[in-house]
Amino acid sequence: MAERMVPGVLGHYEHMDAALETIEAFRTQGRKDLVVYVSHPNHEIEHALHEPISPVRRVTLVAGLTGTTAGFSLAIYTNGLDWPLLVGGKAPISPQAFVVLGFELTVLIGALSTVFAVIAFSFLQHRKGVLYDERFTDDRIGIFVPSAGAEQDKVASLMTEIGAVEVTRA
Amino acid sequence: MGTAVITQASPKYGPPTDQTHAEITRDVVATLDTAPRGYYYLIFACVGCFLVGVATFIALLKEGLGLAGYQPPIMWSVYITNFVFWVGIGHAGTLISAILFLFRAPWRTAVYRSTEAMTVFAVMTAALFPIIHIGRQWIFYWLLPYPNQRYLWPNFKSPLAWDVFAISTYFTVSTTFLIYGLVPDVAAVRDKVTGWRKFVYGKLSLGWQGTNTQWRHYSRAYLYLAAFCTPLVLSVHSVVSWDFAASLIPGWHGTIFAPYFVAGAIYSGVGMVLTLLIPLRKHLKLERMLTEYHFDNLAKLTLLTGTILFYAYGMEYFVAWYSANTFEQTTFWRRLFGPAWWAGWSMVIPNAFLSQLLWFRKIRTNLTALWVISIFINVGMWFERYVIANALGNDYIPWAWDQMNPTWADWGMLVGSFGWFGMWFFLFSRSFPVVAIQEIKEFVPMPMRGKRAGAKAAAGAH
Amino acid sequence: MAENTTMTTGTGLDRRKFLTVLGATGAGAALTGCSTDRVAKLIPYGTQTEDQVPGIPTWYASTCTECSAGCGLHVKTREGRAIKLEGNPDHPVNAGKLCHRGQAGLQGLYNPARIKGPMKKSGAGFAEITWDEGIKLLADQVKAAGGAFAVVSGGPRGTFEQLLRAFAQQAGGSVTKYEPFDHEPVRLAHQAVFGRDEVPVVDFAKANYILSFGADFLETWGSPLEQQRGFAASHGFDDAAKGMAKHVYVGPRLSLTAANADEWLSTTPGAEAAVALAVARHVAEAKGADAGIRSALATYTAEWAAKESGLTAKQVDEVAEGFAKAKAPVAVAGGIGAQYANAVELCSAVAVLNAVAGAIGTTVRFGQDAVQGDGAAAILALGAKMASGGVKVALVHEANPVYALPKSTGFAAAFAKVPFKVYTGQFMDETAAACDLLLPNHHALERWDDVEPRAGVQGLLQPVMEPVFKTRHTGDVLLAAGKAAGYALPDAADFHAHLEKTWKARLGGGDPEGAWREALAKGGRYAAAPASPALRANPAAIKYTAPAKAAEGEYVLLATPSSLLHDGRGTNKPWLLENPDPVTKMTWRPAIEVHPDTAKLFDARNGEIIRVETAAGAIEAPVVLYPGIAPGVLSMPLGWGHTAYGEFAKDRGANATDVLAVAKDAKFVAYAGQSVKVIKTRGYQKLARTEGTPRQLGRHIAEAMPAAHAAKGLSVKESYLELGGHTHDINPEWEDKAIEGWYETQKEMRVYGEGNNYAGEHPAWGMAVDLSKCTGCSSCVTACYAENNLPWVGEEQVLRGREMSWMRIERYWEGGEGGKALEARFVPVMCQHCENAPCEPVCPVYAAYHTTDGLNGQVYNRCVGTRYCSNNCPYKVRYFNWRAYNRWAWPEPMQLQLNPEVTVRGRGVMEKCTFCIQRIRQAQHDARLEDRKLKDGDVVTACAQACPADAIVFGDMNDPESRVRKIKATNARRYHILEEINVKPAVTYLAKVVNVDPAHLAEGGHA
Repeated sequence: MAERMVPGVLGHYEHMDAALETIEAFRTQGRKDLVVYVSHPNHEIEHALHEPISPVRRVTLVAGLTGTTAGFSLAIYTNGLDWPLLVGGKAPISPQAFVVLGFELTVLIGALSTVFAVIAFSFLQHRKGVLYDERFTDDRIGIFVPSAGAEQDKVASLMTEIGAVEVTRA
Repeated sequence: MGTAVITQASPKYGPPTDQTHAEITRDVVATLDTAPRGYYYLIFACVGCFLVGVATFIALLKEGLGLAGYQPPIMWSVYITNFVFWVGIGHAGTLISAILFLFRAPWRTAVYRSTEAMTVFAVMTAALFPIIHIGRQWIFYWLLPYPNQRYLWPNFKSPLAWDVFAISTYFTVSTTFLIYGLVPDVAAVRDKVTGWRKFVYGKLSLGWQGTNTQWRHYSRAYLYLAAFCTPLVLSVHSVVSWDFAASLIPGWHGTIFAPYFVAGAIYSGVGMVLTLLIPLRKHLKLERMLTEYHFDNLAKLTLLTGTILFYAYGMEYFVAWYSANTFEQTTFWRRLFGPAWWAGWSMVIPNAFLSQLLWFRKIRTNLTALWVISIFINVGMWFERYVIANALGNDYIPWAWDQMNPTWADWGMLVGSFGWFGMWFFLFSRSFPVVAIQEIKEFVPMPMRGKRAGAKAAAGAH
Repeated sequence: MAENTTMTTGTGLDRRKFLTVLGATGAGAALTGCSTDRVAKLIPYGTQTEDQVPGIPTWYASTCTECSAGCGLHVKTREGRAIKLEGNPDHPVNAGKLCHRGQAGLQGLYNPARIKGPMKKSGAGFAEITWDEGIKLLADQVKAAGGAFAVVSGGPRGTFEQLLRAFAQQAGGSVTKYEPFDHEPVRLAHQAVFGRDEVPVVDFAKANYILSFGADFLETWGSPLEQQRGFAASHGFDDAAKGMAKHVYVGPRLSLTAANADEWLSTTPGAEAAVALAVARHVAEAKGADAGIRSALATYTAEWAAKESGLTAKQVDEVAEGFAKAKAPVAVAGGIGAQYANAVELCSAVAVLNAVAGAIGTTVRFGQDAVQGDGAAAILALGAKMASGGVKVALVHEANPVYALPKSTGFAAAFAKVPFKVYTGQFMDETAAACDLLLPNHHALERWDDVEPRAGVQGLLQPVMEPVFKTRHTGDVLLAAGKAAGYALPDAADFHAHLEKTWKARLGGGDPEGAWREALAKGGRYAAAPASPALRANPAAIKYTAPAKAAEGEYVLLATPSSLLHDGRGTNKPWLLENPDPVTKMTWRPAIEVHPDTAKLFDARNGEIIRVETAAGAIEAPVVLYPGIAPGVLSMPLGWGHTAYGEFAKDRGANATDVLAVAKDAKFVAYAGQSVKVIKTRGYQKLARTEGTPRQLGRHIAEAMPAAHAAKGLSVKESYLELGGHTHDINPEWEDKAIEGWYETQKEMRVYGEGNNYAGEHPAWGMAVDLSKCTGCSSCVTACYAENNLPWVGEEQVLRGREMSWMRIERYWEGGEGGKALEARFVPVMCQHCENAPCEPVCPVYAAYHTTDGLNGQVYNRCVGTRYCSNNCPYKVRYFNWRAYNRWAWPEPMQLQLNPEVTVRGRGVMEKCTFCIQRIRQAQHDARLEDRKLKDGDVVTACAQACPADAIVFGDMNDPESRVRKIKATNARRYHILEEINVKPAVTYLAKVVNVDPAHLAEGGHA
C-alpha cells in the first residue's frame, strides 16, 4: 500500500461470538476507535459497539418537509399567482389538485438527500490506510485496533487468546 | 422451460439456511462468469426488437401519429396501454423490496434484487411512451416547469402534469434504491474477481468495506428509503389511474380506479417477476437460494392481487348497474358484448378467473404451471389497459362512436418496448448480483463456536 | 377601413356606396391581383390602388354560376385573391345566403384540373398554342364548316348568350342550350295543362301546406336556396301566432327534402301520380272545381290510389283533407329523383291539383320563365345530326354533355364523329378531352358577364382578381374570331365594353354611368316579379299510366341527384366530396342505397359490392343499408364515375346513368324507375361514412315536439312527458343534488387575486341553433371549411373517422321499427364552448383555456398533442391533425384560397370550432375604431352567415338586447345537449317542431 498506513492490529474472526467477545474486551479497556468489518448488517455487533443512532434521520425529515413545501408553493405560484388562467371553470388555486405535486417532491427530495447524507457520513469520513482484507465481504469478521509499538503485542495476544484465526499488523 | 423440480427443498418451510456465507458469495459471484452463447443470442434478439421500435418511432416522427390505428374518438390507445402496462410491471419490484422489507418478510431477500431491477427497467420503458404518443414529440419538455422568457407554466390541475412528476420521481427513487442496495454486494464481487473486473467493480463499490460506521448509516438510511418507496408504490399507479379517473368518460371516471389500478399493477408485476425469475433461476443455477418457498409466496401475492382485481371488475359492473347511469351502463355492456368483446374477455378471463387457480398449493409450487399462468397474466393485464382506453369508443355522443383499429405502427412500438426492457434486464442479470448477497447472509447466521470456555482452553494450550 | 368592414356587418346603404367604388374599378383591381404562374418577385404596393389595402378585405358583388338559380354573391378578396364567397343580401333569390355548392365555387376557381391555356389536340394529348393561333384556328374552321356548325351551351341566359347566338347564326349554325337537370316533364306538363312551356316559381314562404311528389326542392329541384329560405320561413316555428306549415312528402326515397317533411308517404316508385290525382279529385270536389275537371278526375278515388301506390286509403284521405282545408296549399312535382317514364302525367296531375286548390298565382307563379335549357329532345336531336355527319364543327361552351347524357343515348359516340370540336369551358372534363381545340374561358370570378335566371332578375358578374391561368373570356374570343371571319357582330373592343354598353342602354336614365355603378354595386338589376297570369287547367291533360313494375327478380333503380354534386359538376371539389351526403352521410364515393330488408334478398351487408345490370349497361358499387328507401327499390346518386375532370373526380365510383336505357328520341331522361338485375360480387369497399351510431339511445341529443305542444309553449321535458315518456331526466336525483351549486361557488372563487384578468365586464359569446329551421343541408359545413382553413383529409382518413369538420351535422333516426314512422333529426354540432369546459383542466400545458369573453380557447402553438382534451370532450368536437393534412389539402393553386386571418394548423396539434374568433376580433376592432360599443349582429359566424334557414343565431349573452340572450332566456323549446353533465355549454338548441297530431306522435313515438 502506497499511502501511509494507520498503525494498528487487525484480527480475523470466523466465529461471531469470538468477535463479539473481542469487541467487548476492548471496550472494557475504554477503546472507542475500533473498526469492525462484517459482510452483512449485523445487530449483535451494533449492540456490542453501543453506537448512537445515525444522524441521517434528521436530514431525511428536513429534506422531506422541504419537498412538501416546494411542491405546493411551485404549483400555487405558477398556476395561481404568476399565470392565473381559468380552466374548466375551476378556481386558479385548487389545492386538491396540487397534493400530488407536494407528495412527489416530498419523496424525491427526501430520498435523494438521505442518500447524499449517507455518502457524506460514511464514505467521505471513511479513514484511509486502515488494514483491510478481502475476505471481510465474504465470510470473515475483522476487528482493527489502532495501536503502536509495544501496545500492539498486547492487543495481538488478546485477539489470539479470544480466538482470532489470523492477526496482521501495520 | 420444462418441468423444473425444486432441488434443495429446504427442510423447514422458510428461507434456506443450509449454506455457508462462503457458498453464498461463491454461488452469486458465479452468476457473473462468462455467459453461454445462448445468452448473447437473447441479447441480440432484444436489441433487434428494440431497433424495430426505433424504426417505428422515426416513422412516427416523420409522418405523424396518423400511422397508428387511432380512430377518433379513440384518441388514446395502444401507446397509452403500453405506458400503463409497463408502469404497472414496475410496482411489484418496489412492493417486494420496500413494503415487504418494512414487514420483514424473510422470503423477499432472495427475489427483491431482480424484481427491483425489473422495476427500474420497466419504468424506463414506460417513461418513453408518454413522449412517443404525443402529437409533437419534439416539444415534450413543455410539460416540465422550467423558467422561460414567455412565463409559460404547465397546468398542475392536469393529471398529465401530475404524471410527469409521479413517473420521474418513481424512476429516480427506485433507481437510487436499486443502486443503494447493490453497493455492498458489488464490494463483495470486487473482492472475489480479478483483473479489469476487479478495477470496475472496485470503482462501482464506492470504496465499500463493510465497516461498522458504514453499516450504521447504511442500514438506517435503507429503512428510510424503504419508507419513502412504500407510499410511492401506492401513489404512482394511483396518479396514473387518475389520468383516466379525473376525466368524465363513462368507464373512466370511477372512484374505484386508484386501488383497482394499484392492485392490477402489482398483479401484473408479480406476473412479470414469475415470467422472468423462473427461467433465470435455472439459467443462473440459483436453485439453492430460490426455492419452492419463494415461489409459493410470490404465487400467494398473485392470488391476493388477482382476487382484488376480480372484486374490482365485479364492482365496476355493479356500480354501473346500481348508479342507473345510462352512459356507464352502455359502456360496460359494450365492454364485454360490444364490437370489441374479444378484448374484454381477454382481460377478464386471465385476470379474474385464472388467478383463482392459485388457491391450490400444487399449482403454486409447480413452476411450469406458474410460468404458463404468469404469461396469461401479462397478456390479460395488457388487455385490461387496452380495454379501458377503448371506453373512449362509446361515450356520450353515439354519432361519434367508433372502434380502434391498430396498425403495424402500434405493434412495432409494443415489440420495441419489450426489446428495450429485455435488453437492459438481461444485461443487468449477468453483470450484477441478481440475488442480494448481504441480505441472504443476514438470514444465515455466522457460525458460533459455542462455549467461551473452549476458547480459553485453546488459548491456554498455546 | 370603417366602410370596408361594414361589408361584413353594416347596413345595406353604406355597402352600396362602398361597392359602387369597387364596381367601377373592378377591372383596375384585377391588375393588382395575383396568379400562380406570374409570382416571380414579391413587390410591396408602391402606390396603393384605390381599393386594395393590405390586410383589409375588399368585397365585390357578383353572381354565382354553379347552378342555374343565379344567386347573388359577395366575394371577399384579400391582396387580390378571392378567399370566400358569401351571399349578396340585396339579391332577391338568395338574400345573403349561399349553398355549399355556391361556396365551393372557389375550389373551381383554384382547381388544379382547370385548363391552363389554349391547347390543340396532338396525338393522344394536347399541345399548348398561343391565343392568336387558337382564335385563328377557330375562325378558319367555322368558316370552312359552311353552315354545318353547331353550338352546345350550358351557359346561363344573358348578354353573352346573345353574342353566342349571333356568332352561331352568322356562321350559319344554331345554339342548343343544354342543362342536364332541365325539368322537361314540368314544362311538358304545363304545356299540356296550361299551354305554357314553362317552369313556374314556387313561393314556399307563403305556403302553409306543402305537398311534394318526389320534388326535392331543398336539393336540386328548381332554385334550391331560395326554396330553402322559403321553406324555413313557413315551416320553421317562431311563435304560436305564426304557426307553421305542414310538409308531406310522397315518394319511395327519403331524400333530404323528405327528411324535412312532417310526414313521409313511401309509395311504390312511379305511383306518386295516382296519389296526386286522388288528392286532386278530393280537392276538386271540396272546392267545387268546374265540371270538366271533376269528371276527368272522377275515377281516381282514394281507394284506387291506395291500391296503386301501396299506401292506405286513410293516409291518402288525410292528406287530401289537409290539402283541401289549407289556406295556402302548394303541390310540387318533377324532381330529378322522381323523373319516371310517367313523370309528365305526374306533373300534369300536380298542375291540375294546384289549379283546383287555387295555388296558381299565389304560391305557384307563372310568367317568370325560369327555363334554362332547351331540353333533352333538342340535344338528342343534335346528337342524331352529328351522328349523320350533319355537323362539321361543334363548339361546346361551359357544358359537359359527353358525361351527363346516358351512354344509351349514344351522344358521346355521335359527338366523336364531328370532325372538329371546340371547347370553351374551364375544366378538362370528358367533353373537353374529346375536343380538338380548347379555348378555356375565364372562371366566373375572373370575368365580366351577366345572368338572367328568370324574368326580372338580372345579375352581374365582375372580375374580382386577375385570372389564375392563361385563360380568356370566351366573349372576347368570339368577338376576335368573328372579326377574323368577317362576321357582323356587335362592334366592341372586348366583351367588357359590349356588356357595359348593353347594360347602360338597358338601364337608361339620366346618368347611365351612375346607374351602371349602382347596378355593379348591387350585383345586378332586380325588377319586381311580373304578375302571374290567370290560367285554366285543361282536363284533357289528366292521364295515368301505371308504372312498369320491375321484372321478376329485378329491382327498381332510382338515379338520384346529390345536393352536393348536382349533375356531377361538383365532383372535382374536395369540399363537396368530403362534406357528407346529408342523409346517407357517405363521403368521397357513391354507394347504392338499399333497404335492409331488400339487402337480405341478395345477402348484402354495408360495403359489399353489387353489380347492377340492365340492357343498357352495368355498374358496380358498394351497398349502403339505408332505412329511408322503400323495400325493393335501389337508389344510386348521380354525379360520380367521371373518366376525366381532374384527379378528384376521375375514376371515383360508377356513373349511375350508365345503366339507364334511354331512347334516342326521348323527351327527357327517365332517371327513376329503371328495372335492374342485381348480382352480388365478392368485392368489398369499406364505406367512408361519418355516421357512428345513428340512434340517440334515449340521450336527448336531438329533441323534437309536436307543433301543438310548441304552440302551447311546453318545454321539451313537458312535451316528452305528455307524449307518454316516463322520465326525461338522465341523472338520478342524487346526482343532480351533488352537482348543484358547485358551479356558483367556483364562480366566486374565480375572481381571485390581483393579477387575475377574469374580474370585470366582458362579453360572453353564445349561440342558439333552431332545429325547427335547420334542414341539415350542410351549407354551414362548407362555410366553416372556407372560413377556417379546414383541411379535407381524403377517403382513407375519413375511413378512420379523422375528418376535420369543426361543424358536423349529426343525423339521428327515430322510429322506423315496430310500426313507428321513420323520422330523421338533424343536429349541427360544433364546439359548445362550455363554461365548465372539461377539455381545459386536463391540458398539461394550458393550450386549452377559457378566454375572458367566455370562449373556449385553443392555442395551436402551445399544443403538444396529448389529445386528452378530446378524450374529455363529451361532445367529441375536437379534431386532431393526425397527419400533415396542411401539406396535401391545398394543392397548387388551391392554397391561394386560404384565409390569411386563420392559422393553417400543422401536424400534431388539436383544433376545433373557435366561434370564428377572427370575426369577433375584427368586429371589436372596428367598433373601437368607430368609438362605439359592439352591437348585436356585429359578429356573424361563418356558419350563421351561410345558413339558408337562418337557424343559427350568434351573439353576446351579456348584452340584454341580443337575440341570442332573448332566445336563451325565453324560448320554451330551449335545451342543452347533455345538460346533465353540468358543463354549461354556450350553445343552446331549440327543439325541432313536427307538424303532426300529438296523439299520432305518441303512438308513432317521437322524442
